[in-house]
Amino acid sequence: MPHRLETALRPDLFDAEGEGLRKKAKNYFGIELSRVRTINILTMDADLTNEHLKILQEDIFTNPVIQMSSYEPLAVESDWIIWVGFRPGVKDNPGSTAVEAAEDSLGIKFKKDEAIYTSKRYCITGDNLTENDINTVAGELLANDIIQQKKIFSKDRWDPSMGIGFIIPKVKLNHVPTVTTIPVDSDASLQKVSDERNLALNPNDIPVIREYFLDSRVKKERERVSLSDPTDIEIEYISQGRSDHCNHNSFQGLFRYHDLESGKTEEINSLFKTCIEEPTLELKEKKDWVVSVLWDNAGAGRFDQDHYYVITGETHNSPSNMEAYGGAVTGIVGVYRDPMGTGKGSKLIMGSYGYCVGPRDYEGELKPHLHPRRLLDGVIEGVRDGGNKSGIPTTYGQVMFDPGYLGKCLVFVTAVGIMPAKINGEPSELKKTSPGELVIMCGGRVGKDGIHGVTASSETFSANTPAGHVQIGDPYTQKKMHDFLLEARDMGLIQFITDNGGGGLSSSVGESARFSNGCEIELDKVPLKYDGLDQWEIWVSESQERMTVSVRPDDLERFLKLSEKHAVESTVIGTYTDSGKLHITYDGKTCAYVDIDLLTAGFPQWEFEAVWQPPEKRGLHEPVLKEPSDYHTLFLDMLARPNMCSKEWICRQYDHEVQGTSVIKPLVGAKRDVNSDAGVIRPVLHLEKGLAITQALQPSYSAIDAYHMTAYCIDEAVRRLIAVGVDPEQIGGVDNFCWPSIQYHPKDNPDGKFKAAQLVRSCRALRDMCIAYQIPLLSGKDSMYVDGHLKGSYGEVHKVSAPETLQFTTTGIVNAINKCVTMDSKIPGDLIYVLGATVDELGGSEYYNRFGYTGLNVPRVHPEVFMKRYRALAVAIERELAASVHGIYRGGLGIHLAMVAMGGELGMSVDLAGVPVDGVDRNDTILFSESAGRFIVTIDPENRNDFEKVMDGQVLACVGTVEAGSDVIINGIDGENLVSISVKDLKEAWKRPFGDLI
Amino acid sequence: MSQVRVLVLAGYGLNCDYETAYAFEMAGATSDRVHINSLIDGSVGLEDYHIMVFGGGFSWGDDHGAGVIQAVRMKTNIGDKILDFVEKGKLIIGICNGFQALVNLGLLPGLNNDYRARSVAVTYNDCGNFRNDWVSMKVNAKSPCIFTRGIDRLEFPVRHGEGKLVSDESVIQQLFDHNQVVIQYAGPDGEPANGRFPFNPNGSIRDIAGICDPSGRVFGLMPHPEAYNHPTNHPNWNRRREKQKRSANKAEKGQTIGIRLLKNAVDYARGS
Repeated sequence: MPHRLETALRPDLFDAEGEGLRKKAKNYFGIELSRVRTINILTMDADLTNEHLKILQEDIFTNPVIQMSSYEPLAVESDWIIWVGFRPGVKDNPGSTAVEAAEDSLGIKFKKDEAIYTSKRYCITGDNLTENDINTVAGELLANDIIQQKKIFSKDRWDPSMGIGFIIPKVKLNHVPTVTTIPVDSDASLQKVSDERNLALNPNDIPVIREYFLDSRVKKERERVSLSDPTDIEIEYISQGRSDHCNHNSFQGLFRYHDLESGKTEEINSLFKTCIEEPTLELKEKKDWVVSVLWDNAGAGRFDQDHYYVITGETHNSPSNMEAYGGAVTGIVGVYRDPMGTGKGSKLIMGSYGYCVGPRDYEGELKPHLHPRRLLDGVIEGVRDGGNKSGIPTTYGQVMFDPGYLGKCLVFVTAVGIMPAKINGEPSELKKTSPGELVIMCGGRVGKDGIHGVTASSETFSANTPAGHVQIGDPYTQKKMHDFLLEARDMGLIQFITDNGGGGLSSSVGESARFSNGCEIELDKVPLKYDGLDQWEIWVSESQERMTVSVRPDDLERFLKLSEKHAVESTVIGTYTDSGKLHITYDGKTCAYVDIDLLTAGFPQWEFEAVWQPPEKRGLHEPVLKEPSDYHTLFLDMLARPNMCSKEWICRQYDHEVQGTSVIKPLVGAKRDVNSDAGVIRPVLHLEKGLAITQALQPSYSAIDAYHMTAYCIDEAVRRLIAVGVDPEQIGGVDNFCWPSIQYHPKDNPDGKFKAAQLVRSCRALRDMCIAYQIPLLSGKDSMYVDGHLKGSYGEVHKVSAPETLQFTTTGIVNAINKCVTMDSKIPGDLIYVLGATVDELGGSEYYNRFGYTGLNVPRVHPEVFMKRYRALAVAIERELAASVHGIYRGGLGIHLAMVAMGGELGMSVDLAGVPVDGVDRNDTILFSESAGRFIVTIDPENRNDFEKVMDGQVLACVGTVEAGSDVIINGIDGENLVSISVKDLKEAWKRPFGDLI
Repeated sequence: MSQVRVLVLAGYGLNCDYETAYAFEMAGATSDRVHINSLIDGSVGLEDYHIMVFGGGFSWGDDHGAGVIQAVRMKTNIGDKILDFVEKGKLIIGICNGFQALVNLGLLPGLNNDYRARSVAVTYNDCGNFRNDWVSMKVNAKSPCIFTRGIDRLEFPVRHGEGKLVSDESVIQQLFDHNQVVIQYAGPDGEPANGRFPFNPNGSIRDIAGICDPSGRVFGLMPHPEAYNHPTNHPNWNRRREKQKRSANKAEKGQTIGIRLLKNAVDYARGS
């Protein structure tokens, strides 16, 4: 018989969660709730005695100081009640820890089908609330149907003795695991299976798959293990391995690039090879600090002679778009497994985020699955819990609003780890599997999670169908595993390690078995969350928080003992072999037997038509826009634009100081509220050496030319590091592409050829800039289908494609952290310098965006010129000649002068007449052009000569001084005053949009 | 005694063990990160240590109230050993999640030397969210707390979603009467925060940031002293450095206030 414990805060205590809901209902929907009280519910579906129940209630689940609780429904005054619980199969993290605590304190073990489920009941009072209002609150603020179920009770429908009843979201599959044989008699029949099973096999792959299974050698070998036609597990394996997600078919594809201006056509055989691999290998030769690139879960660079740092970046767009919290927490926790699975394993030391969403106040006609405001709230919270509960500082991040992301949001997550250069005398970055070693799965259990991604989301639900396609990451389980694996690594117990992400075991085991050249897997050994999974489901499930490890038989006992100490589940699921075969059995019967190199051989390359039309030919031009007269209001309005304004509320939710390594925080300045150019940490506590991270996004330039969008992102990400004091010779990059579909289709994707050309141009810029700036690409990923289909007012459906987006992340070494510089002005009387020329480059700028223009003159990057400047500035910083350094980014000089002043809480006076320009004679252009390669530097007047000497030959000018007063005074080219605004007013404008959020 | 040994708890989602161990080393001790289960199964003996640290993190995911399940597990398995440790005059500090665990264990506030009863709670911030920011604190000079000896003001980061100390008025009054309230959140100039956000970041009653037991040897606080283990941890270090460069008296020497706080404990343990 189940038991239901309800717990709530004592009525006289402030209910922060309830108050949060009340505020959101008012601010988001204008619904006035007078009071909301939250009740936490534990539904215990377990055989427990009265004594047990008493212990659980009194010793664990009720705090006598502040809470009340009862196994009967608590009587809390309410006009309406909303109950929200998980759907079956959705990861209930607090439910699992409740079981752990109960078992520990009662000294019992829950049976396999026993569990504790958590849910919540919100007791709402308010005058004149309608059922509609309550539905809105429940549906738009509390429950997402994809993962949660909800019930609404009005006062008269509520039975105070029954309460919510007993709702047990247990998964019941009632299914006997079955292996199905797939016919390969014709292309059409295999295509049919692909369609029916949602395999998304590429039509060009189908003949190759058939050819393999019809090959007489293969057939003969398969007969020996009693197999004939392929099994579903084999076809699913191939489908996973050949997916664009796992295999990067687009980047490996053949592009026919036709330039309409020159009339020339070129063939590019793999953007990955030509634009990523080749330059990176070339730079690896030149830069001895590059340790490991292009093959492992993350790239590695040398931090110092005893430590390597590792980095990678991921996106988790589609799942976040459906279930923002679950998608984002799964994304960040997932990317944190990559460094854990790099080399023989790394300790996580830093994370960062980038969110691209529709306008937060969107009120247009399109109906996205989640409103951008709700989506952003969920994503922020997901990354918050994922990062904070992992104990990893989130040291940097950014947000970009654009209507193009209404179709699908982007959630970038980046992870940095560190590992010793040597483990027991062996290089930490190398690893392999060898025949005879054991295949071990560590961490979470396997359920139907993430099978076939979000395609399942349109299926209908029954009361016990697992809603597994959308996952909720579990940082707690993963943190335990992280601590365990590091200890195992240092004891020399790990021969090979990789994470289970996309494709689950099929991918982690399939890839790791290539080193030994084969494996035998006993699928029935894999621990499951619930019975009834088919063999293929176990094999491809993407259940989270799992790593695959290769362990020598002699080390097994120590490995398992250590695992037990850390309360982590580890299971031997097979053996690595050198048979050349991936051999899978279930209950002793073979259900898959294919060549281990099947996925790497013989599949046809994808092909793309790319047609480039330069922006002038597409009709883009500069707007006819006369100079404004009211700079005062313009300046304040620019600061308050969503892509310019303060987003402090996000940074403050993220623990950016755990591990005690913080050197430069995401927010700096006298009042700690202005964004720094980059984050810096001291990852090895006893060393005075730093590691910096930053990133850049500039999607609006793609509307003109993705080449320049890309070049600008890279320049910005380099410049951000230079600004804090990074060594320019030790910068590494991570490219994360998010592109709309590039496969041309006359009806579904009529501009596919143009988007393909944009991708080619973007990759070329990546290559050009990486070589020019000497930045090896330590890691990178692509997400290729950033399109959504949204309903409009009349039921019509619009395709919304995201702007072509690259997030470029850079990391770099700070040789001496005590020489780092922050961006805030420091001392009145200091001289303000502008480095680099301002050009008429307002194309795609925030200023043009304010008026709805795109323009044509997109900022250009001149790496040869810029890099000399950056090196000179690095010397000036190294000699401690700069009091503050800040790059000039989106928004232009005016906005970033304001940032420097707001950071310092000091006034300044600046004459635009002194600003170095190249062919610019307008104040608005000087203030808002986004030309690359520029900085604002403030220096002690005493250092003037030394500074100018170090910067000799560079474009720079002293344009003003930091003032003791509170006003930012900017005078125009002709000496007329344009702006005279106090720092207080600037900040007020800058914080206006989101300043009230916490 | 020359060697002061510090045990820093680790595992089950705790996550400040590395820097806490490091900070104690900077304070002159020898410190070990010890998994909770190693202490429970006896492979590590609590009696071999002088200072025990319940550190920061999300033990058991903080799923049923921060620090609650950690407290239950410790109490069930080694509750007596911990009480013994306290009785022997040794020191315990609980930081953030560790503070939450100590109040759930009843080790704090230990009113009337009852180290088992829960009489205060540390619960959800009034602001409704996790918050990371630096706070200023004023130290109660009359407090018996060993850790804050000779310290008047503190600045550390807070990083929590549940840091609001709550209890009945009578208990709070007792805490003040016995000078068990060690530190209170303050404004930028040291004036009482008086509940004002963000100076008081969580709505804690009467700005309480940390309390000790009647002996002053068990201390719990929400802000993180171990996160101020190096001058560059301070949010304004860059501004201070620039000012110092221009002034006649050059760089300020000595340890950060975070290390000094821990050093007080190490020195006490060495002397006792």
